[in-house]
Amino acid sequence: MAEMWISMGPQHPMTHGLWTLKVKVDGETVVDTEPDLGYIHRGVEKICESRDFTQITTYCDRLCYASANTWSHAYIYAAEDLLGVEVPERAEYIRLVAVELQRLASHLMWLGAYGPDIGNLSVMVWCLREREMMMDLLQELGGSRMHYNFPRVGGVKRDLPHGFAMRARHKLSLFLDRIQEYESLFDESTIFLIRSQGVGYAKPEEMINHGVSGPNLRAGGVNHDIRTSHPYSVYSELDWTPAVERSSIKGADCYDRYRIRVEEMRQSASLVLQALDKMPGGAETYHEPGDAKILAKAPSRAPEGTSGSHHFEDSRGESMFYIAGGGEGRGKMPYRVSIRSPMFITIPYASKCMIGYKVADIPAIMGSFDPCIGETDR
Amino acid sequence: MSIVSEKSQISSAEDLANTLDSINGVSSSVDKRSSGTQIRPVVKLMVSPESWRGVAESLYSDYGVDYCSMITGIHWPDSKDKNWEIIYHFLRTGVKNPPHSEGVVQPIITNNSELTGSDVPLEIEVIIHLGDTRNPSVASIQDIWVGADWNEKETWDLVGIDFEGHIGMRRVLQPHETPKGYHPLQKQHKLRYHNFQEMYDDAQGFKRKTVDSERVK
Amino acid sequence: MAEDGQNYTMFSSRMLIDTVGDTTDAALQASGLRDIIGVLAGRIFNWGQRKSLFPLHLGIKCCALEMAAAGASRFDAERFGVFFRSSPRQCDVLLVNGPISKKFADPIVRLWEQMPEPKWCIAMGECAISGGPYFQSYNVLEGVDTVIPVDVYIPGCPPRPEALIDGFGKLREKIIRIGAVPSHSRTDSIAPIILGDEQ
Repeated sequence: MAEMWISMGPQHPMTHGLWTLKVKVDGETVVDTEPDLGYIHRGVEKICESRDFTQITTYCDRLCYASANTWSHAYIYAAEDLLGVEVPERAEYIRLVAVELQRLASHLMWLGAYGPDIGNLSVMVWCLREREMMMDLLQELGGSRMHYNFPRVGGVKRDLPHGFAMRARHKLSLFLDRIQEYESLFDESTIFLIRSQGVGYAKPEEMINHGVSGPNLRAGGVNHDIRTSHPYSVYSELDWTPAVERSSIKGADCYDRYRIRVEEMRQSASLVLQALDKMPGGAETYHEPGDAKILAKAPSRAPEGTSGSHHFEDSRGESMFYIAGGGEGRGKMPYRVSIRSPMFITIPYASKCMIGYKVADIPAIMGSFDPCIGETDR
Repeated sequence: MSIVSEKSQISSAEDLANTLDSINGVSSSVDKRSSGTQIRPVVKLMVSPESWRGVAESLYSDYGVDYCSMITGIHWPDSKDKNWEIIYHFLRTGVKNPPHSEGVVQPIITNNSELTGSDVPLEIEVIIHLGDTRNPSVASIQDIWVGADWNEKETWDLVGIDFEGHIGMRRVLQPHETPKGYHPLQKQHKLRYHNFQEMYDDAQGFKRKTVDSERVK
Repeated sequence: MAEDGQNYTMFSSRMLIDTVGDTTDAALQASGLRDIIGVLAGRIFNWGQRKSLFPLHLGIKCCALEMAAAGASRFDAERFGVFFRSSPRQCDVLLVNGPISKKFADPIVRLWEQMPEPKWCIAMGECAISGGPYFQSYNVLEGVDTVIPVDVYIPGCPPRPEALIDGFGKLREKIIRIGAVPSHSRTDSIAPIILGDEQ
């Protein structure tokens, strides 16, 4: 049978974001794939070379827009490594609350986009409704619905607002009730099970060699998590274990990747509740912005020859920032900011996973890896 | 609670650094960085460009470094001791395929606090300096770690560092028709409106110049 | 009249349609009904066009998430007739919600050209208006209006979903004013609408 290349994208309802997936099909079976990225390449790494360390936080929010807080915090940890800043403990707890709430919102957005890929349109409006609850909480913390600029070098920009802990506990308990409805909507639907089980197998050793990490890796049955292997922030003070999924013998399929994100959603909710309970000073005390308990004094210049790097468990994998100091403004701006995006490495791997399956499995496999093109194209 | 113990991670890092120091062309050290509650040790290797391929192969086969995280290229036109710098970040994760018995997979749940020696996850940073050259080039590690494949393409695309032995090098973030030899992250290329005066007539930025000379249309 | 190889019958459908059309047109013109039908049809089409704006299912960057939130249950753009379509051939509105990079300049012009008249363009967010925070970048165009004529600008980074729905409202008012003027001949005398710019 004649083989032909089909181009899916850049404008395509299936691709979550703007990229092209060229697929070589033999009848209905996928024979080869070639992803084509770069449609929203903004040159953020070059722009950051002429911005202050505080101004770069605004760019890092916009890297992966579905999961903005995790990216700005990843950058801030690298900047603090470069400048040599000690962060107060209360600020670390507040950061953890923001990061885990963001991870929850990001996974909800994923679930809301994955349902329509499979054909389940009602779950999209349900998940977006839950996401609105989380975005309300994040709006209280950060000030806007999507790009918060929440962390500062040395701490956070403001403390938890009055009554935040009460509202967060209420909303999270509502969410933990409703997540069971969504699980049943998927687990009891034969169509979802047929479309997602048995497609897109991925084995952990192969994934590690390809550079895949995060929930995609843990769906394969190994518990490699940056928060426990190279601990940062106050994750070691809370009581939790990374979510792991029991995969099938051939590897992790789309169903395992769906299940692990639901487990991670529950775990993020419980991490936030624990952090609110254990916060030093209590979650109800309020410190003014700039108070030493939430923001430490930080140097604003990094001389040439210094460098800082930090890797971070983003909602999609391991993200990393490497900052070389000594740029313009006698060190006020970095010389080079290098960003590692987990999805940049996962998308070619996910494209390889599709080979051998049918065209109709492409949205299921691609969606289950949770692509977010903003961070891919930087 | 399975957080890696700080002591065993530091001692494992020092062991690895001492072992690697004996390889020709490598000088290693352990960088202790602080992040939150624990100290994070990073094994830092300075490798000469000629011996990089051999070191990479031995890292993969003998020392269990299985994950290539990021490749960074930096252009230093004004620095005294280096003109191009390539920084690799690796992780030693110790991830293996979970075993299965009677058709059921047993997920590997490691208790990180009990890991010691060469099982401890470690971060490895490799730095290579190149001298003054118009065609900087380093050996490719695309066949050892497939995760380095697209990283190398991106480094070539944006910075201009070529990787010998890399199959299928192409523009991956910029458009495919970008002229050969245009690598925007090199320091001679400036941003649009790099000088504030290019855009505005006055210092505060209220009176915009009427003709924007570098406007892309 | 009829050429070699063509259908020789005088009642071939092309000629029939032309003849009937011409005579009807002349009759309506003579009786004065033509103007009335023209105005009525124009009003009905205008009402239909502005009450059922179908944007394209195009998500470029962050503003696409706010566009999705605007379509979801809390803000619900669908009660205003806004329904997202996947194919540009079936759309009225091109909602540009992100920066246009050099690689995407060609596809977005092709998407715009594939949309049938009457069509409008809404630039949502700072990146589409002027390049946004990336105005200095080597790869980002300074605004989508360098390649496509824009009707409504919605500032914000990202604009709230309520702002997007208000933008659709302003577009509706513009459609009442200008009718079905083709997109390439909307002159600057009909000033572009910038949300939030009213006195």
